[in-house]
Amino acid sequence: MLAAAILTVALVVQDQAPLRASPQDAAPRQATLWQGEWLEVRGERQGFLQVYDHRRERPGYIRQQQVRVYPLDETSVPQLQAVVDFLRDTPGAEALGIGYTAALLRAANSSQVGPELFDAMGTLAERLAKRASSRKSNDEALAAHLDVASSYGVKLLTIEQEGRTRLCYDGEAFRRVLGLGGSPEARLRAALALTRPECIDPALLQVERQALDEWRAAVLEQVDTAQLPAWQANRLHLRRAEVYAALAYQWARRGEAQRGARASERSVEELARVLKSELAEEDRSAYAVAAVRVAASRWASVPAPEQPGSSPGLELTQGKPGETCLRLVDAKTPGTSLAAHCTYGLVWPSSIRRSPQGTVVTVAVQLLEGWTELWVFHQEGDGWLLDALSPATMDPGVGYVELAGFTPDGSRVLVAREALVEGKVKSSFQVLKRETLLPEKTAERPDDSGTFKRWSTADWRSRTLAVR
Amino acid sequence: MNIQNIQEKLSEVLKQSVFLARTAGAAVVSRVRWFAFTPKGRRIATGLALAGTVFMVASSPPITLVEPGQLGIRMNLVTGNASELREGWALLVPQVHRLHLYSLKDQVYRPERSIHANGPAPFQSAEGLSIGIEVTLRYALDPARISALATSMPEDVGQEIVEPVIDGVLRRHFAQHTVREIFATQRREIQKAITDEITPMLAKDGVILRSVTLGNVDLPQQYRTGVESLLAEELSAEKMRYTLELKEKQIKETALHAEADKVRREKAAEASAAEEIIAAKARAEAMRHILPFKEKEIEQRRLEAEAAKVSRLTQASAEADARRIEAEGEADARRKLAESDAYRLEVTGKASSEQLARESELITKNPLLIQKTLADKLSDKIQVIIAPPQAGGFIAGNLLGQAAPSPRHANTMGSNRSGARHSNSSEYGSESGDGSEDAQSQEE
Repeated sequence: MLAAAILTVALVVQDQAPLRASPQDAAPRQATLWQGEWLEVRGERQGFLQVYDHRRERPGYIRQQQVRVYPLDETSVPQLQAVVDFLRDTPGAEALGIGYTAALLRAANSSQVGPELFDAMGTLAERLAKRASSRKSNDEALAAHLDVASSYGVKLLTIEQEGRTRLCYDGEAFRRVLGLGGSPEARLRAALALTRPECIDPALLQVERQALDEWRAAVLEQVDTAQLPAWQANRLHLRRAEVYAALAYQWARRGEAQRGARASERSVEELARVLKSELAEEDRSAYAVAAVRVAASRWASVPAPEQPGSSPGLELTQGKPGETCLRLVDAKTPGTSLAAHCTYGLVWPSSIRRSPQGTVVTVAVQLLEGWTELWVFHQEGDGWLLDALSPATMDPGVGYVELAGFTPDGSRVLVAREALVEGKVKSSFQVLKRETLLPEKTAERPDDSGTFKRWSTADWRSRTLAVR
Repeated sequence: MNIQNIQEKLSEVLKQSVFLARTAGAAVVSRVRWFAFTPKGRRIATGLALAGTVFMVASSPPITLVEPGQLGIRMNLVTGNASELREGWALLVPQVHRLHLYSLKDQVYRPERSIHANGPAPFQSAEGLSIGIEVTLRYALDPARISALATSMPEDVGQEIVEPVIDGVLRRHFAQHTVREIFATQRREIQKAITDEITPMLAKDGVILRSVTLGNVDLPQQYRTGVESLLAEELSAEKMRYTLELKEKQIKETALHAEADKVRREKAAEASAAEEIIAAKARAEAMRHILPFKEKEIEQRRLEAEAAKVSRLTQASAEADARRIEAEGEADARRKLAESDAYRLEVTGKASSEQLARESELITKNPLLIQKTLADKLSDKIQVIIAPPQAGGFIAGNLLGQAAPSPRHANTMGSNRSGARHSNSSEYGSESGDGSEDAQSQEE
């Protein structure tokens, strides 16, 4: 970045500062400089600094007021440090902050370079990426600032997500923070920035995604929550809950049921560790999303109930590779199949439930990492029908449906649905008719519906994450 | 003469010899008698016999040890028979048996005189160069054939059989090859040829050839230097060949590794693809479950849109009708209004003209009415003085803009800001009908 021979640098502190061909304001403009860029100082003439721009390979003159001059040795470290500390939390001055941090890295000797410096660099780069990804951004200087940041080696990755482009910092500085130690807050910031779910490329393959999630879990394990204030620890717990929920599905998908169960238990535990009273306002939506993700794969850690003999039972067999076949069999006449269906989703045997009359059998089927459906086998006349209840009528993403109980006569099925719709978690507690499975009553809270409140089972109430 | 003398002397010598022999025979007979018949003679004879026996036993012991690794051949000098004796004690009858011991151990022969090129007996190469070769032969006696060949086998088999045979063969072979062949290229072939030739030859003599080894080859110094450089070249060529072979093998190894890697990657990719396919199928399944609802939703929206369309159309039609009716009503209203305006204008005009006629008549009767009216119009702050009319015009002509043909005029005094922009006729017309005009005039 900075050549070894350079002793004095001028850091540009204003946007659109002109680099003149001669020390006059009327002289032709050689280049337009932006805040954060650095120039080598070679002299001073008539109120102008004679400089050389290594990036553009061009000499020129610039007004002294538009730059700050520092010799790149240890004497400048305190001044540079003070400016970095100031700029670190100044919105809009990310490029300048990155320039100062780079100059500080160059000026300081190795013993003075600690995790704080990389924390500042990462924070600035992260904020610049956020600024660039903002929909409301009408920032003229943004492109130039991104250019300046990239000239210092700050890599911002471009990710296409839901029809829009998002810039994400590659996290190099945060990796160094985790490697060098640093304060618990800094480590937390680093871990959260490195495991940001919105910065995961949606085009990642399943195997790559699993490897990434395992790495994310390992990164999150490097932060100790004991020394963090509760509201910050909450963020870590939420992120861990999300990651372990994803891992629970992925491991179970690959046939490692025990690892999947452990991950699911861990995700539930991490979610339970979140102190709601200390939850920051901006984390509330993240809490809801994490709860939905955990609930989607929590069947992995629920033990299977004992099989009653009289009711129709559900048998699971292996079909083609990756396929599970469900067969509804009558315990009284073994060998006869009442209904059968094969799926490429994960069928959770512990979720099999029957209505008291034995006319409805439900099972949870997780089709995607955060998408769990409720499959309902219901007896209509002499035959049995299979209907799948989806969390919401949207493209499969994040959501789940779970059985909350049956009415005593078995004519109604109570379900709880939660899904992430347009960035918000939508919860609904519904009473469905058994025949059509169409909602008869819908409430946003379980207590708002009398039928639901009355007949939802204790099993569901003790286990559900929908009531938070 | 001489011959006769010699014959005479010979005959004398012969006579004396016969005499001496008789005398000696008589003496021996007398001694034997003495030994046999006198006690002293018998003791001496016994003593001599004992001494002789001891001497014989000492000189050729009747029991001999055959060492391990040796084979003894006992020859009976009387009968000419030979018998094998293995290791252990062997009984020999003195003067009857003779024992030959042969070593069964491997023996080594190394022609020392031919080791150096400048030695006493160097080998000759095909080029006629003297070379020293360190040849080592290992041989052993064939125990199965020793007894058969014992009569004809010399005591020192190595020196008397092996060495001459080998020496000849070696020289002949080395003379057939060049130094280079001996030194490097055909060493193994030469060694084999020598072995093949010597083995049957020695086998006839009960010798088994174990091995022939060609060791150091001592060349003449100059030749040695040349050959060594040549060999070095060859060696480097050989080395290059091996290097190339090694490289080829490395390439093959790399190729194999790459192939294995490729297969591994392919398998991993297959597994990954399989997982991807399963995930995609699961996603498709989830989508399939949602699609009916989506379709219903779309249908619902379509129906809603159609209903909205019908509703809007109806509303638009009603609005259009209403507007048409409104427009018609408005047109009618405007027509009525216009008619009423026209009527009003007509009536007003009629009234105005009548008013004008009346005023004209009034003014004609009372000319000062104009001044009065003017004075009434002006502010009460302005003093009005009725002055006699000036010649040629009306005093307030500036105000009115033109001179009135009235015989008398009013004059204004004091502050007067007005620029006299009012016209007479309108002034007169508006004075009676419009109060706002008055206000405007006062304001000005």
